[in-house]
Amino acid sequence: MLQAHSLLWNYLWVAPNILLLVLAVVIWRRKLHKQFPVFLFFAVVTAIEQLTVYATDVLPSVSPAIWWRVLLAGLLVEGLIKFTLIGEIFSCVFGLYPSLAKLGKLLISGVGVVLVLLAAVAAAYTPKDSTYPIISVALVLEQTIYLIECGLILSLFVFAAYFRMSWNRSSFGIALGLGISACVHLATWALMVRGNSSAPYRNFLVFLNMATYHVCVLIWFYYLLLPQKSATTSAVSLPENTLAIWNRELERLLQQ
Amino acid sequence: MILAIVIVISATLALVVILSVAVTRSLQVKGSVRTALAIRPIDIEAFRNLIDPAEDGYLRRRLPPAQFRVVRRERLRAMAAYVHVAGSNAAVLVRVGEAALASADPHVAGAAQQLVSDALLLRRNTTVALVRIYLALAWPSSGFAALRVVEHYEQLSGAAMRLGRLQNPAVAVRLSASI
Repeated sequence: MLQAHSLLWNYLWVAPNILLLVLAVVIWRRKLHKQFPVFLFFAVVTAIEQLTVYATDVLPSVSPAIWWRVLLAGLLVEGLIKFTLIGEIFSCVFGLYPSLAKLGKLLISGVGVVLVLLAAVAAAYTPKDSTYPIISVALVLEQTIYLIECGLILSLFVFAAYFRMSWNRSSFGIALGLGISACVHLATWALMVRGNSSAPYRNFLVFLNMATYHVCVLIWFYYLLLPQKSATTSAVSLPENTLAIWNRELERLLQQ
Repeated sequence: MILAIVIVISATLALVVILSVAVTRSLQVKGSVRTALAIRPIDIEAFRNLIDPAEDGYLRRRLPPAQFRVVRRERLRAMAAYVHVAGSNAAVLVRVGEAALASADPHVAGAAQQLVSDALLLRRNTTVALVRIYLALAWPSSGFAALRVVEHYEQLSGAAMRLGRLQNPAVAVRLSASI
């Protein structure tokens, strides 16, 4: 079942991208693109890019060398859009909190620099395929993109959780999908580049990637299209005696 | 292969953190907000005394260097405990403020925005202050100033009181009373 060009393989490659195009259309119709223009662009371009790579894979007239070139070009474009999208999520989250905006910019710059260095080290230690250099380049590029993406998304989640910042439902969903996808892809690509090269093992990793991506597209559907539930708040009763204590302390401070 | 293992473990840990944050957020949205009960009172006077440079100067002059370092470390640990509580209270007040942000009353929403902003600023400052306190623990003879934390804490308590009064004049002051 976990074979290349099996029914499941075709489904997992095509279906998420069709769904992503549908999501893009719905986002446009609901005018959500005004809030997340880069996500709309990401959805359209990624879906088209993936479907193009799929078409070149199944078309017998396309040589493997051309397929790898198409994949590489797609990866470069996808990587650039993903980083722009992460920037959009950052500004969406920090836009609500002007007091933390400067710190947020500092954080994304600092983490970004560290991640680029880490990715460069990881790429330097990645074994190269001398017979087909383009394959190595594609795999290393993919690993680099996922490493930086994963680190940036993780830092965003940790930062927001530490400061108890509330997320817009849509930006949370986009970040969650990107984060899950980046983590799983990073792990699988790292194994694929350096691990066991047997076909069943590689197929399993490819299927895991595809299935994860499908789940992520469904996560984006859920968070972007389903209405937000309002938080339930209840009246809070606090100890009476602390009022006088605090007021006394505050007055003492104000009189200094 | 070692690098692959390191990357896989890092990616798995990152995934666990992201999913745990997602689950926590989901529980927060579904659950009721009884956050104000989590606010712990702080004796600002005692804290102000702890961070007073004049007190440190006096102790430095009166005590032998070795004993001063011991006393200074104890004061720094106490200071860290206060700052930690102030940071936790700020985190609670972020949620209290955010719960009030959606209010239809523009005065309440404005006060809530101010509270959230002040609380985040305090949380940031407590983080920086804690780093500096722990560094000072390693070098107790070095100078240290955490006055900004106190100033922001006072501003924050004022913002919480304003929001409380606007939301419910009868119980408003209770909220800020326990800060």
